Amino acid sequence: MGQDVVMDDSQTQPEPASAAVASPDALTPAHSTLQHLKEIASVIEAGSLSKEVRRISRAIRLTVALRRRLAARDVSAFLAFALPPSSDAFARLSVLVPKEDGSEMDVDTAATAVQVSIKHGLPEIEIYCYLLVLIFLIDNKKYDESKCCASASIVRLKNLNRRTVDVLACRLYSYFSYVHELTNTLAEIRGTLLVLHRMATLHRDELGQETLLNLLLRNYLHYNLYDQAEKLRSKAPRFEAHSSQQFCRYLFYLGKIRTIQLEYTDAKESLLQAARKAPTAALGFRIQCNKWAIIVRLLLGKIPERTIFMQKGMKAALTPYFELTNAVRVGDLELFRAVADKFSSTFSADRTWNLIVRLRHNVIRTGLRNISISYSRISLVDIAKKLRLESPNSVADAESIVAKAIRDGAIDATIDHANGWMVSKETGDVYSTNEPQIAFNSRIAFCLNMHNEAVKALRFPPNSHKEKESAEKRRERLQQEEELAKHMAEEDDDDF
Amino acid sequence: MDPKLTEVNQMFARFKAALARNDLNTCEILLSQLKVQLTKFPSLPPLFQQTPNAVEELKLARDIYEHAVVLSVKLEDQDAFERDFCQLKPYYMDTCGIIPPSPEEYPILGLNLLRLLVQNRIAEFHTELELLPVKALEHPCIKHAVEFEQSFMEGAYNRVLSARQAVPHETYVYFMDLLAKTIRDEIAGCSEKGYDSLSISDAKQMLMFNSDQELHQYITEEHPEWEIKNGFVFFQKAKESQPCKEIPSLQLINQTLSYARELERIV
Repeated sequence: MGQDVVMDDSQTQPEPASAAVASPDALTPAHSTLQHLKEIASVIEAGSLSKEVRRISRAIRLTVALRRRLAARDVSAFLAFALPPSSDAFARLSVLVPKEDGSEMDVDTAATAVQVSIKHGLPEIEIYCYLLVLIFLIDNKKYDESKCCASASIVRLKNLNRRTVDVLACRLYSYFSYVHELTNTLAEIRGTLLVLHRMATLHRDELGQETLLNLLLRNYLHYNLYDQAEKLRSKAPRFEAHSSQQFCRYLFYLGKIRTIQLEYTDAKESLLQAARKAPTAALGFRIQCNKWAIIVRLLLGKIPERTIFMQKGMKAALTPYFELTNAVRVGDLELFRAVADKFSSTFSADRTWNLIVRLRHNVIRTGLRNISISYSRISLVDIAKKLRLESPNSVADAESIVAKAIRDGAIDATIDHANGWMVSKETGDVYSTNEPQIAFNSRIAFCLNMHNEAVKALRFPPNSHKEKESAEKRRERLQQEEELAKHMAEEDDDDF
Repeated sequence: MDPKLTEVNQMFARFKAALARNDLNTCEILLSQLKVQLTKFPSLPPLFQQTPNAVEELKLARDIYEHAVVLSVKLEDQDAFERDFCQLKPYYMDTCGIIPPSPEEYPILGLNLLRLLVQNRIAEFHTELELLPVKALEHPCIKHAVEFEQSFMEGAYNRVLSARQAVPHETYVYFMDLLAKTIRDEIAGCSEKGYDSLSISDAKQMLMFNSDQELHQYITEEHPEWEIKNGFVFFQKAKESQPCKEIPSLQLINQTLSYARELERIV
């Protein structure tokens, strides 16, 4: 599943224009990449000095946009520009970036209109350099150098405790883990991640905790260590999510853990929420969520709607699951077996094979329910035949399977052992029970909850409405004062 | 060779001899001494120090814990089994690169799966199952436990019972016997709901009793609400859920009020 689940945090909606400080948005494409990087550095500097975390996240988004165009000479030139040449970081990083001969620095750098200069020695800038080099190295598939760079940055981060660095640190952690995932050495960094998570908790760095918890869960689940993952998850401190992408990931991992541990109802909830909250661009992630959600619904004895399989861009990926759903819906063991065999390689690759094995029981149940609805009385021999139970003693098997289904409430029937048949009971009138009321309540609760979540998710750019309001307020106040004065004057008049 | 290692080796040889002649008391005493000795090896989990004897020590420790698990089965002590298995597990999971896999690995993992089934810890059963590579699922011992769980979930108890006769490993017998009791309770529960009545001979056969005597005793002990009359067992059906006559007013009021509150927030 590897890169499927990689979801870029950069795909958030564009920042409102109000935050434009030295806005690189306005830059023309004629500007060189280096110039862009310098602009970004100044955004970071501004963010660092004014302690505004938002600006730093904006800088990261701008960097990701530049990612494709990064070239070695841009990176080295930027390092020379941003870091004091005598610093540790410069010495370490400049070695990692490959030297490119031939092309000199762009000529227009000197000639650009805005000459940006930044203060040296800001930790934010230093960490940003690490991040930039790391991204560059990963994109150029230099994994060993990336690992070096990531480890060095982690060592440096351990000595920093600034809220404005946290945002950059989170991205560094993610890439750190990503590099190790690409080289399949995730197990080695588990200890480091745990230490970092503890550190983030002690520093009350909630963003860091969130990111690191997800990375740890991903790390554990990569090796199917569901037990450890659940133990960590249930004991890690929880708080309101800061980043919706991280929250999505968390929900997905949580859904997976719960599915394995047979808590299907909760699992369905988490997986569907993750699929809904994920940004549209994160297609791979949404496909994964949907795959799991489909299986969980089937395990719950529900049949997912057809529209789920027809979502844009997912049709091909979900085909095996569509056929599987069909087999479960019909309740045909033979067909189920055929589908499971046909797509066994897909299911193994998705690591859902063990869940598919669990489904066999649901296929039988559905088949049995269909039989019980269609016949008021049917012999156990026929049931065994219809369910295609293949065993030497299929009638006895059918009898005990029916008995268990009755006990679990899947069908409403009784068995006549002496005559060897099953008698279905008349279905009662559902509307004479409390069932409709309960269903109604759960639906309303769902809608109201959705509304509340939506309200909570609204974002207001800070301060932008304040000025407007104060102007309005002043007018209002003046008006009120005026009225009061008038009123008093009238009163005065009345006295006479 | 390291004198400490030799000492433990000798003690382990004595332990194995005692186990072979089924002298379980001696085994227990020796085992606890062995475990104390093992704590002195720095190469074992969780330290995993790279010492020159690491490979030998790890192998020996794994062998000791494997025997400890087998011993706990012989002693029919489920708690000890869980403890020993937990100590053994790191040797299977985390030492892959250091020592070759043990031939006993899959039988013991299968045994653990079976134990989780007996204790009805299905969630943990599945968690353990996820840890196994695909090729492990082919191993008869693991396959046995997996098929077992499947039949159990489906309700095909006959298959479970036939699986009992074909145990893949001698240590499995103990847990299989425990499972038989669990299955009997399951069947009794299902029959209660599924049938109005059963003839005594049928009931006897279904619940796997050899004599009417045993059946009577089981009914009086476990299900006193069942009635035996004219050669039939009548199951007192729990009262069917009646159509609701009463309106749950308090609950309705609460729900309606909460809707009103929420709507007010929206409008």
